[in-house]
Amino acid sequence: MKTFVIALLSGVLAAGAVSAATVTNKDGETAVLVVVEGESRMEVAISSGATEMICPSGCFVTTPSGDRIGLQGDENVEIVNGSAIVK
Amino acid sequence: MRFVGKLLAVSVCLLSLAGAGAVVAQTAKPAQTTTQPAQTPAQAPAQTNNQPAQGTQPAQGGAQPAQSTQPAADGKAQPAPNGQQPAGGTAQPAQNAASPTQDAAQANDATIAADAGQSQTAEQLATAGKELKRLKELVGKASDDDIALAELKVQVDAVAKQIISTSIATRPRLDEIKARLTELGDPPGEGQPPEADIVTAERKRLLAERGEINALTGEAESLSVQATKLSNGITATRRALFSNTLLKNTDVSFEMFDEALTATINETKVLSRSTMSWLTFVWNYKRVPLLTALFLSICAALVFLVGSNRLFSPYIHHDKSDEEPSYFRRLSVAFWSTFIPTISMGAFALSSFFFMHSFNVLRSDITPIIAIALAVTVVGFFVTTLANAVLSPSDSRWRLVRVSDRGANVLLITIFAMALVNGLDFLFGGISESLGSPVVLTVVKSFIASVVIGLIIIASAWIKPTLKKDEPFDAPGRPWPRIVSIGLILTGASLIIAAAAGYVGLSRFIATQIIITGAILVMMYIGFLTGKAVSRQGAFAETAAGRYLERRYKLEQVGLDQVGLVAGLSIYALVALFFIPLILLQWGFQVADIESWTYRAVTEIKIGTITISLMGIMAGILFFILGYIVTRWVQRWIDGNIMARSRVDAGVRNSIRTGIGYVGVGLACLIGLSAAGIDLSNLALVAGALSLGVGFGLQNIVSNFVSGLILLVERPFKVGDWIVSGTTEGFVKRISVRATEIETFQHQSIMMPNSLLINASVGNWTHRNKLGRSEIAVTVTYASEPRRIMDLLAEIAGAHPMVLKNPSPTVGFTAFGEDRMTFELRIYVADVLTGGGVRNDLRVAIYERFRDEGIGAPFPLKIEDVPVEDQTGIESHEPETVGEPKGATSADARAAAAKKEAASAAPLDEENEEEGGKRRASSRRSNPNR
Repeated sequence: MKTFVIALLSGVLAAGAVSAATVTNKDGETAVLVVVEGESRMEVAISSGATEMICPSGCFVTTPSGDRIGLQGDENVEIVNGSAIVK
Repeated sequence: MRFVGKLLAVSVCLLSLAGAGAVVAQTAKPAQTTTQPAQTPAQAPAQTNNQPAQGTQPAQGGAQPAQSTQPAADGKAQPAPNGQQPAGGTAQPAQNAASPTQDAAQANDATIAADAGQSQTAEQLATAGKELKRLKELVGKASDDDIALAELKVQVDAVAKQIISTSIATRPRLDEIKARLTELGDPPGEGQPPEADIVTAERKRLLAERGEINALTGEAESLSVQATKLSNGITATRRALFSNTLLKNTDVSFEMFDEALTATINETKVLSRSTMSWLTFVWNYKRVPLLTALFLSICAALVFLVGSNRLFSPYIHHDKSDEEPSYFRRLSVAFWSTFIPTISMGAFALSSFFFMHSFNVLRSDITPIIAIALAVTVVGFFVTTLANAVLSPSDSRWRLVRVSDRGANVLLITIFAMALVNGLDFLFGGISESLGSPVVLTVVKSFIASVVIGLIIIASAWIKPTLKKDEPFDAPGRPWPRIVSIGLILTGASLIIAAAAGYVGLSRFIATQIIITGAILVMMYIGFLTGKAVSRQGAFAETAAGRYLERRYKLEQVGLDQVGLVAGLSIYALVALFFIPLILLQWGFQVADIESWTYRAVTEIKIGTITISLMGIMAGILFFILGYIVTRWVQRWIDGNIMARSRVDAGVRNSIRTGIGYVGVGLACLIGLSAAGIDLSNLALVAGALSLGVGFGLQNIVSNFVSGLILLVERPFKVGDWIVSGTTEGFVKRISVRATEIETFQHQSIMMPNSLLINASVGNWTHRNKLGRSEIAVTVTYASEPRRIMDLLAEIAGAHPMVLKNPSPTVGFTAFGEDRMTFELRIYVADVLTGGGVRNDLRVAIYERFRDEGIGAPFPLKIEDVPVEDQTGIESHEPETVGEPKGATSADARAAAAKKEAASAAPLDEENEEEGGKRRASSRRSNPNR
C-alpha cells in the first residue's frame, strides 16, 4: 500500500511539475519560428506535427504569419495555419 | 488543543507568506481593466497611409517584421499580413445596402477599447524604456560600487520581467483580431463579385490594428533584449570589479614607504585636528545629546545583556561546581557564551550609532570613522570571545579542544593579536578613506598588516599545544602535527610573499578571511556539534528544555527522543541559515545577490526543462494538511452533533463518517496538488499509466477498495456485529479501505480482505436486530413424566427476566435415548450476546428445581453428564443438567424402569432390532449397577 502511494505521488510530481513553453506544429509544413530569448535571437524549425520546448524563462516569438507574441515560459502553443494559438 | 491552536497559527502565517508570494508574482501583470481615451496617433485612418502601394500584391506572409528598435509611433510599418490585400480595395462599389450598422457600431466600440488597451501597453512600454534608460545611467555612474550594482541588477531583471508580461497582455486582443479576420474571410479575388464597403473597411482596420500590436510586441522585444544586455553587463562589471580589487598590483618600493611616512604624519595631524574640533564642538554645543545617546545605547545593550543573561544564564557561565561537564554542556556554553555577548555588543554598537546619528551629534567627516571603529570593535570582540570560549584557558574542564593549559593561553594570544592587527588595519583604512589621504597610505598599512599577520601565523607553527591521550592539561604539550605546522608556515609565507609582490589587496583579503571566516566556521562547527549532541539518543531528556517538556506535557522517553531529533535537525538548519549568508557576505557577495538566489531557490529549481517550485510544494502540503484537519473536524462534528442527536443507526453513522473521510481526503489531495502548481490535467496521464498497473498487479487492491465502498453503502454488517464467514467468526472491529478487521472470541484479530466478504456468504448474528434463539438440552430417565418435565422447563424459562415472552419459550421432546429422554428448551433472548449468561442461569435453575422436585438426584452419583455442543461456540463445554427419575434410588426400581423403557422404546424406535440390542448391551456394560 505504501509503495503504491509513493509510486502514485512520484508519478504525479513528475507529471505535474511546471515546464518550459511547448510549441506544437499542427500544420502540414515545417514552421520556422524566430525566438528571442535573453540576448540571443535564433530560428527554431519545427517540423509538421512535432513538439518543441522553448524558452523556460520568458521570450518573444515571431510566428510564420508575421505575428509576434510574448511568452512567459509556461504556455502551450499550437501553430495552426502559420499563426500561434496560446492555450 | 493548544497544539492544534499553534498549528493553526503557524499555518496561517505560512499561508499569508504564500499569499504574499502570489501577490508579488501577480503584480507584474499590468492592470488592463482601466479604459483610457485613445491618445496615440496609432489609429485606423492614419494607417492607410502606411499601407503598401494599393493595388500591388505585397510580399507574402513570410515577410519578417522590421527590426524593432524604433519607438511606438514607427510601429505602423507593420509586417505584411498573411492574407492577400484587396486589389484596389478602396474602390469597392457599394453593395449590400442592408449592411448591419449595429455590427459596425459594435466594432467601433471594440476599436476604441482596443486602442485604449494598446495605448496603455505603449505607455507601459515607454515607462519601461525610460526606466531602463535611467537604470543604464545609474549603472554607468556606479560602475565601481559593487553594492549598488547588485541592487541595480535586481531592478533591471524586474523590468525585463515586466516587459514580457506587458506584451503578454496584448495577446487576447491579437487572438480576437485573428478570429474576426478569419470570420471576414479573404477579400474577393479578381472576377469575383465585390464585397460590401463596410467589410473592407473593417478588414483594413483590423489589419492595421494587428500591425500595431505586432509593432508594440516588437518594441517590447527589443526592450527586453536591452534589459538582458544591461543585466549581463552588470554581472560582467561586477566580476571585473572583484578581480580588480583583489588582484591590483602595486609596486612595493622604498619611495612608497617614504611617501607613506609623510602621508601618515599629515594624516595624524588632520585626524587629531578634526577629532579635536569635533570633540570641542560636541562638548560645547551638543553635550546633552551626546550623553543621552551614549546613555540610551548603554541602556539598550544592558537590557539585552541582562535579559539574555537571565534567560540563558546556565548556558553562559561556567558552573564551578560541575566537576566534569558533559561535552554537550560544554558545547552549548561555548556557543551561547559567544553568541549572546556578541549580539549584545552588536546591539550596543548599532544603537549608539543610531542615537548619535539621530541626535545630530555626528559630523560628516567623523561618521565613517565612528562607524568603522564600532564595526571593528564588534568583530574583534566576537573573534576573541569565541577563541576564549573554545580554548577556555583558565579552566581546562570547559575546554572544547584538547590542548594544554599553556598552549591554550598562547593560542588565545595569537588569535587576539591577529584579530587586533586586522581590525586596526581596517580602522586605519577607514580613517584614511574618510580623511581623503593618498591611496598609498592605505596600501602601506595593509602591506604592514598582512606581513605582521603572516609572521604571527608562521610563529604559531612553533606553539606546542597538543596533548597525548592520557596527559594532564598542565603538561608542557607537544608540537603540532607535521602537516599542521607546515600548513601554517606556508600560509604565513604566502601572505608575506603576496604582499611583497605587490598584491596587497589579495593578501589583505586572505588575512581577513583567515580570521573572520575561520571564526564563523568554528562557530558553525560548534553549532553542528551541538545539533548532533542534542539529537543523540537520550541526550535531549537531560537538557533543560527536555526536562521542562517532560514535566509540562508528561512526555515519555520515546517522545522526548523524537523531539530531540527534531530539535537537532532544526539546530542544523538554523546554523546553516544564519552562518552561510554571513560567510557569503564576507566574501564580497551582496545582500541583493543572496536575496535573489534564495528567491530563485524557493520559487524555481530547474532540472532540464522541468521547473520545481519549493514554495508551491510547501503550499500544496500545507493545503493538504489544512484540508485533512478540516475533514476530520467536519467528520467529528457531523458524527457527534448531527447524527448522534438524530439517533442514526450506528452502521449508517460509521458509513457516513468513513465516506466523508474519503471524500475529504480526496478533495484535500486535489486542492494540495493544484496549490502545488501541478496541472490536474496531467493526472489523466498518471491515471492512464495506473490503469495499466491495475490490469496487472493492482487489481486485488482495487477490487478490495471497491468492495470496501460497497460494504459501506450496502452495509451487510457494521462495526460491532457478530459475523461468520467461512471459518472466521467474531466481532467486526473496523471496516477500512482494503480489509475488514474481525476480532475472534479468543481476541485474535483477523484482517479479512473486503472482496472476500463481498464474494462469499457472510452470516450475521446481529444484522437487523439482536434477537436470538438459544437451546438447552436436558435429558432425564424414562422414570420421569415427560409432560411434567416439559411444563417444568417452560415454567423455569418463563421465570427468567431476560427470556422473551414473545416469541415464548418452547420445549421439545426431541429424542428417545437409549436410557434417557432428551428434551430441548428453546428460548429467545433480546440480545443474542447475553445468551450465554441466560443459558447458564437457566441450567442452574433447572438443576435446582429438579432436585427440589425430586426429579433430579440431589447426589452427584446419579447424575450423568451429557455434553451438548454449544451452538454459539461462546462458552466452553459445560456439564449438562440431567434429571434423574423420581424414586430411582433402589437398584430394583431402576432395573424395572429400564425394562419398561426398553419395552416402550422398541415399537417407537425405527432403528432395527440388532442395533437396538447392541446399544442396550453396551449401555449395560457401561453401567455396572445395572
